[in-house]
Amino acid sequence: MMPDAWVSTLVELAAGTVAAPLLPGIIQAVKARLQGRPGPSPLQPYRELNRLWHKSTVDPDGSGVVYRLAPPIVTVSLLAAVVVVPATSFEEVSPLGHDVLVLVGLLALARFSLALAAWDTGSGFALMGASRDLTFAALVEGMLLAVLVLVALPSHSTDLGTLMATTSGLAGWGGALRWCALGAFGLVVLAETGRQPIDNPDTHLELTMIHEGPLLEYAGRDLAMLQWSAAARHWIMFVLTVEIFLPHAHGMIPQLLSELVGLPLWCVLLAVIETWQAKMRLLAVPRLLGAGTAIALAGFVTWFIGARP
Amino acid sequence: MGLVTKSAPQNPGTTLVQTTPSSWREAHDSAIHSGGRFRGLYAVGPDEARCSDRAGRDETGTTIRSVFSFGDQVKVLSARAVPGRSGELRGAGASLAGASAAPAGASVTGASGSGWTFPSIVDILPAAAWDEREAHDLYGVDFAGHVPMRPLISHSDCLKSWTVPVVGAGTHQVAVGPIHAGVIESGHFRFHVVGERVLHLDLRLFYNHRGLERAAVGAPLDTGLAIVQRACGACAVSNTLAFAQACEEVLGLWPDAALKTQRTVLVELERLYNHLNDIGAICAGIGFAPGTMAFAALKERAQRLIGRLTGHRFMFGTIQIAKGAFCLAGGERREARQELRSIGEDSMRSWREVLFNTSVQNRVTAVGVLDASSAARFGTVGPAARASGIPADTRSESPRLDYRELQPPSPVDPTGDVAARMALRAAELETTLALLDTLLRCDLHDATAGAVAEGSPVGVGVVEGPRGATTCIVESDGTTIQRLHLRTASYANWPAVAHATAGNLLPDFPLVNKSFELCYACSDR
Repeated sequence: MMPDAWVSTLVELAAGTVAAPLLPGIIQAVKARLQGRPGPSPLQPYRELNRLWHKSTVDPDGSGVVYRLAPPIVTVSLLAAVVVVPATSFEEVSPLGHDVLVLVGLLALARFSLALAAWDTGSGFALMGASRDLTFAALVEGMLLAVLVLVALPSHSTDLGTLMATTSGLAGWGGALRWCALGAFGLVVLAETGRQPIDNPDTHLELTMIHEGPLLEYAGRDLAMLQWSAAARHWIMFVLTVEIFLPHAHGMIPQLLSELVGLPLWCVLLAVIETWQAKMRLLAVPRLLGAGTAIALAGFVTWFIGARP
Repeated sequence: MGLVTKSAPQNPGTTLVQTTPSSWREAHDSAIHSGGRFRGLYAVGPDEARCSDRAGRDETGTTIRSVFSFGDQVKVLSARAVPGRSGELRGAGASLAGASAAPAGASVTGASGSGWTFPSIVDILPAAAWDEREAHDLYGVDFAGHVPMRPLISHSDCLKSWTVPVVGAGTHQVAVGPIHAGVIESGHFRFHVVGERVLHLDLRLFYNHRGLERAAVGAPLDTGLAIVQRACGACAVSNTLAFAQACEEVLGLWPDAALKTQRTVLVELERLYNHLNDIGAICAGIGFAPGTMAFAALKERAQRLIGRLTGHRFMFGTIQIAKGAFCLAGGERREARQELRSIGEDSMRSWREVLFNTSVQNRVTAVGVLDASSAARFGTVGPAARASGIPADTRSESPRLDYRELQPPSPVDPTGDVAARMALRAAELETTLALLDTLLRCDLHDATAGAVAEGSPVGVGVVEGPRGATTCIVESDGTTIQRLHLRTASYANWPAVAHATAGNLLPDFPLVNKSFELCYACSDR
């Protein structure tokens, strides 16, 4: 492997790690403004992480190695996922490659280990959250894969770097495929990042929790890792949105610029959605996700019917 | 069968009807059939803890009373069990156990001729279930036919003793509380669920029982007022007003017009900030932050106004026995009226945002349905009952308050779901603000209550608080309290919460619960 590849991977990793907590921070700050409160600064998640990092961890009675290892596993999976998603299409190939399937696998690994940890604690709320999360994951992961394969159809490659290059410009937007992919991926973003109307990240009501449920037992450094991982999911999903699913320029500087502008804009959009949408009824979520999958399938249909070059 | 001890013509008040344990059920039957509304059942004592030796206890016997209101008239049924009447009682218990299809067992044989057993009335009056359980736990009274007698206030470690058995494939229990993730009073909820669907909910409240009723025994009436005030902050006016009215009845007093007016203003101010709070709480239950924040801010404005006017954000100290302690005149009154108008305009604007948000309406319709027959059966009161189509507003039958100008709220579709309870509160907000606007046209002066009748040994005050009718019963010789019983609207409505939750999704429980928004402290006096 070339030294360049290592350098670019490390830069990517450092940028993703440091920038990720800013995204939920911006969402919180914008939401507060929209609700008529001053709210915290967008930098609040960093303060939270700093505070938690210096606190001791707690293990519930009877929990074992599965519970203990879940936060590191989740964090490492997300770190790897950050590396797998390139910030620009001009990056050197990372040691992990840039394949879509690896990304989906890493996200699933993180979810799975957290669900196992919920089982390990035996806590009712953790289990309830984990079981809901896994139920929805069966739909979300399929949808994520379907929509990524959908945009990969024209470029005949599941490499994210190649995808970013081939989806640049306004070329494909005359057809239905790109629009379908964007619509379906928007729902994937809501589900993967655990935001309203699917989940409510601000709630203290244990009975309604999905993503927050398995986190209830964790404290201190463990919780810091898990909160960073939740922020990293925002980073990954937003980068994919801006660099693949929305119209974007080709070229390293334009791509970096579009991220600089696009990521905060996407945060604002999510904040607006969270403000005017109440959380959905739990059993209505699969219907919404089903609708997203149907949109993705419609994209496939349009592609196979005729839009082939 | 009855013995009328007091009934002054110009003073619609309390009638004490003496019955016996054997005619206890008949007396209730006739009270229910003549349109009486159940307002509580209590044991007079001596309470169990004070009778250390069982033999001494059996010798004294005990008395239980139950309260019904007929419009502005109150009837108190009273029955005394004494050891000598044991044969008759045992007969009543046995025939009851046979009739109510309950397994004839321990509780009937428990009627071993002591003066502590009465026939249960839960089968004809399910609303009395908690009252009988409380009398059993705190006063050691047995109710023949109330099987199983589940503990209410005594917390036993045995899960089976206080939960309803639910069996079947895939059913399991989810335990929530008494310690919660948010700042909430302590209550334990045990859900019997299949998947995400709730089959049954068992409540266990009463974690912070303070013994307020017992603390008041032997205390002067004014001390009793302070004790009742401490039952709950958010219902302080309703609770103390019910107490003050009961005391005035004991003393044979009647409030003058000025006192009626200022008390009406106070209780409506309490309704105002509570309703604002409750609508915001429903929004919080579905994660609709703009609604939560808007109504939290409005509630804060209302409470700040109340703090400025009365010197206390929860209006402590504003209700006194037989006198008025709240004056409002001139510029201050005009300012208050203006601020109330402004709160009214802003709350209606915020309400429209909630009403016309599809995602909110999707969440609140057809959730937590309490149908009219269940609401009637459980003796539900207040907005919860009215949203189910039961006309339960004691404001129109409160001659001790000034409700001449009350315009009943515009009709709301009484579907009994969360949406109906929320919409009803919004409609009542308008009524309350209109009423306050009318009442504050004139200054509020010093006020007093004048003697109109001779005193009575039992006084009952019924006040329509924000959560519904709150009843306070005072038995007194005119100077000290012999028995105080406070049955708040929250106490009356908790069983309805459990009933309305069954059949809904588990994650919808916080929403259903908040649509009733009951106090724990109010129940756990």
